[in-house]
Amino acid sequence: MSGIDKLIHQPVRLQVMASLVSLDPDDQVDFTYLRDLLNVTDGNLGAHLVKLEEAGYIDVEKTFVVRKPRTFVSATPKGRSAFRDHVEALNAILHGVDRQTPS
Amino acid sequence: MDISKEQARESLSQIEEAAERTKKMMACSGGDAIFILWGFIWVLGYLGTHFLLQNASWPRLMGAGWLWSVLVVAGVIITLVMVRRHMPVRSSVRSRLGKRISRFWWLLFAYFYVWMVMLHPFIEVNGPGEAAALYIHLSAVAATVAMFAYVVVGLWLDHFMIWIGLGVTALTVLGLFLLQPYFCVWMAVAGGGTLIGTGLTIRNRWRQPCPASTS
Repeated sequence: MSGIDKLIHQPVRLQVMASLVSLDPDDQVDFTYLRDLLNVTDGNLGAHLVKLEEAGYIDVEKTFVVRKPRTFVSATPKGRSAFRDHVEALNAILHGVDRQTPS
Repeated sequence: MDISKEQARESLSQIEEAAERTKKMMACSGGDAIFILWGFIWVLGYLGTHFLLQNASWPRLMGAGWLWSVLVVAGVIITLVMVRRHMPVRSSVRSRLGKRISRFWWLLFAYFYVWMVMLHPFIEVNGPGEAAALYIHLSAVAATVAMFAYVVVGLWLDHFMIWIGLGVTALTVLGLFLLQPYFCVWMAVAGGGTLIGTGLTIRNRWRQPCPASTS
């Protein structure tokens, strides 16, 4: 059983994953809405998204809508599973369940 | 990686807040701007109609008809552009639902037009004064048809819209039967104002600042 995920645990990435996982698997969120939702800068969010994308936790799709460039982000099945495990591990710590948490 | 109970609690709280705000964003999904847009259309349309129906004459009645036609067509076009440009979330499921809702609106107003054509032979008006009174009744019917659409869309999407639909319908009925001389002003303030207020409320509800998000 996996535990705390160091990559997800960082506060901005944690909120990005929480936001994406709370949507339907089919949903893709606009980058700018995610930025406003988390109250972070474009550069900051972009850097965190790259890390999550490299880990295979999210998909980033750049496209054009009405001739304007837009970026849509969605959680992958791997990302959803890692996030679920991370939340389980947090709950285990909170409720005092003894478990190994790989670093 | 060592995490204390306090850190775990804080992380879970951040997760809960982010998920909650995302749900609010989904419930909003650009709806705030659409409510505000249609609120302003109602304000402009009804205030313009009130002005045009004073000292009613046939050209002024025609003018009121044109005013609403222009406002509604402009409103539909702007709404479609806003939906395409500003939807925060896209998915094939939502896209299908959006198309279904759009078809429902078109069909409802097509049916409304058919009903008006069917009733037309029984409508007699003697002079522009009576025509103006009929116009007010028809605009009340059109407003309740639009609000009926809100209620139905609310049944599919968000119960919040049901209450808006029922509330504005009640205000329309109240205005028509109790405040008929000022019906259009009433509808501009009560109907248009409710739609604008709803849009602003939705906007403020989900745009509250997030808890500290350090990098």
